[in-house]
Amino acid sequence: MINKNVTWSLISLVIFSSAAWFYFNFESHWQQPKYPLMIAVSKTPLSTPFYVAKAIGAFDETCVSVKFDEVVGGQRAFAKVMSGEVDFGTSSDSVIAFQSLTNKAFVTHAMFVQSDNDVKLITRGSAKINSTMDLKGKEIGVTHGTASEYFLSTLLALEGLTTEDVELYHYKPEQLVNGFINKDIDAFLPWEPFGFQSAQLLNGQIKVHETKGLNTLSFNLISVTADNLLVEKAKCVIQGLSIAMDYIASHPRESKQIVMDELKLTAEFIDWVWSDYIFKLGLNQSLMLSVESQAIWAVATQMTQFNEVPNIERFIDSRAMLQVMPNAVNIPQ
Amino acid sequence: MNISLLQRIFFFTLGCCFLFILLLGSVIWSSQAIELAFSRNHYAQQLTNQTNTLKQLVANDNIYDSHYSINDWRSVEVKLTALLKSSPHLTEQQKTIQNSLQSQNESLKSLFILINKNKLKNASEIIKKHLKAKLMIQLEAIRSDALHLSAIAQKDIYDTIKKQAILIISVSAVSILALLFGAFTLTSIVRKSLNEVKRAFETNHSGDYQNIQLSHHSQEFDSIAEAFNIMNEKLSESTVSLTEMKKIVEERTHVLEQLSKTDPLTKVGNRRALFERANMEFSRAMRSKSKLTLLLLDCDFFKNVNDEFGHLFGDELLIHICSICGQEIRDIDFLARYGGEEFIIVLPNCDIAGGIETANRIQNSLARHCVAIEGKKVCVTLSIGISMLSERHKNLDQLINDADKAMYLAKENGRNRIEVLPAPNLH
Repeated sequence: MINKNVTWSLISLVIFSSAAWFYFNFESHWQQPKYPLMIAVSKTPLSTPFYVAKAIGAFDETCVSVKFDEVVGGQRAFAKVMSGEVDFGTSSDSVIAFQSLTNKAFVTHAMFVQSDNDVKLITRGSAKINSTMDLKGKEIGVTHGTASEYFLSTLLALEGLTTEDVELYHYKPEQLVNGFINKDIDAFLPWEPFGFQSAQLLNGQIKVHETKGLNTLSFNLISVTADNLLVEKAKCVIQGLSIAMDYIASHPRESKQIVMDELKLTAEFIDWVWSDYIFKLGLNQSLMLSVESQAIWAVATQMTQFNEVPNIERFIDSRAMLQVMPNAVNIPQ
Repeated sequence: MNISLLQRIFFFTLGCCFLFILLLGSVIWSSQAIELAFSRNHYAQQLTNQTNTLKQLVANDNIYDSHYSINDWRSVEVKLTALLKSSPHLTEQQKTIQNSLQSQNESLKSLFILINKNKLKNASEIIKKHLKAKLMIQLEAIRSDALHLSAIAQKDIYDTIKKQAILIISVSAVSILALLFGAFTLTSIVRKSLNEVKRAFETNHSGDYQNIQLSHHSQEFDSIAEAFNIMNEKLSESTVSLTEMKKIVEERTHVLEQLSKTDPLTKVGNRRALFERANMEFSRAMRSKSKLTLLLLDCDFFKNVNDEFGHLFGDELLIHICSICGQEIRDIDFLARYGGEEFIIVLPNCDIAGGIETANRIQNSLARHCVAIEGKKVCVTLSIGISMLSERHKNLDQLINDADKAMYLAKENGRNRIEVLPAPNLH
């Protein structure tokens, strides 16, 4: 009986030793390759899924090792993607619409957040601007080629005005408030967090107009036109984002804290914007239609030098999303 | 741990019941999960339908026309809003989509109110077209979210059914294995224990009282074994076993055989033993053409000794003669009492000369060893007749008869002497 036990113990030991040996020798072969990536992330709470993914190590479980290049605004992120400085970037649908007119070789892989109140119209209290009609002839600051400029143009058009009817000043997003302080402009259209910062800084001097719901903005993952390897990398980035999305849904308090720490924001600000944001991965026809309509708008209102709207389908690459979340893809194949 | 068979069956049944309840529970849970997933799917499809209706209302008519009836739109929009408020229980992921749907719906309502505010009388055609496109985009966004919700619900249905199928297969497989194992174990215990009890009975039958040693313990068979072992113990105490009985019978038979072939006084062979042995030696000598010699010894004046010293001394004297003879013959020779004071010695592989020599040795030894009684030495002599097997002897009686004749010749010729028949050539 003892001999039998000893034999079995020895056989088990040999099997376990062999398994351990194989595991340690071939572990590297089983693991996915880790692609080092640089992502240009816009320094806005809209990029929360990226910050959360990084903070909770969501990318560690995928095939990419990610580094962030933090930039101000989706337009700069776009520029860095096109110059090859970074592999991926985060841009709003407005930026995509404006850039699609330039026929640059880029694609959108996924939409990860949307807000219906990110860009706000802020006017000087003393300027007595109560309606859009009152904007006529005023000096207004926008960031060229972004949601800021697009939103202004639509607001004006509602009252039959165009950008010709106002004095348009182009600023970098973080410079908009300086133009206002220097009294170069009476109104400006910043996005968050600059809207909140301006409201804090100029409390009492300004009026923040109620425009919630008039302009839905989305933030998207973009890259240069993707080959198979880039699609594979995009897939892994989206996998990391998907994990982050689940975390945001189940741990909103912790997620807010992560963004506050990363962007040095106050709890007050996060509470100000958080309810406007919907963090959700998707690639819908509505995004395509939105980009297309904004591009048509830009051409029609002569906001751009280009006058031909290309086929927007070229700028959508659903391959990565189809691998990660096929349910969330709803575009004509 | 000693568990009874009944307990085993009880636990076994309990285990089966537990597995069955587990299976039943999982089926109920799954049906509820599937029902919930179906209700979510239904909800998503209703949303899609309402959105499609709204899309048709926007696409087919000119919404900026002063005659455009917004009542149709409003009634559908109210239904959509009410529907959004009566969502079934959703998962965290689905709640995010639900939030998106509600937010998109609010944007949709804001946009529609904006469009219908004075029908945008100051606005250009471009912005009107653009806003209509935005309205469609908003509706498309709601539709996309509804489709996403529906796809998740459908996947949930598929996953739940798949999970349930795997669970049912696994639980069934485990149940069947457990049933087989349980049945096999029970059968094996009962069969082995019954065999062991049967073997014990068989062993017992042959008179060997062995205790039952059960390889599997169960309360029922242990109690049978205990009762059997107690019975065995009592039986073995009160009964002589067959083996012992055989041994005793063999011993007694051997003793009886010895007694039936031994002369009770002198302890040498009696007539029966003499004829048995002598016949055997006669046959062997005839068969192998070997030699065979008989000595017939008779005590001289034995009657006188008996009369003078009594029968007891006579008996002692006979014993003494046998003792002397026994010392002087070979191991293969056979001494027997022929009758009264007559003895016969069978000498296999021995001729006349050998017989004479043996007879001489006996006479000499007897002459040297007298028997003492009441301080007197009494010496006796023997008349010895010798016969050797020859062609004329057809049977043992003839050979004995020759020895007898020779012995009478010795008596006639003066006693204490040796006579041979037939007379050898050397005389």
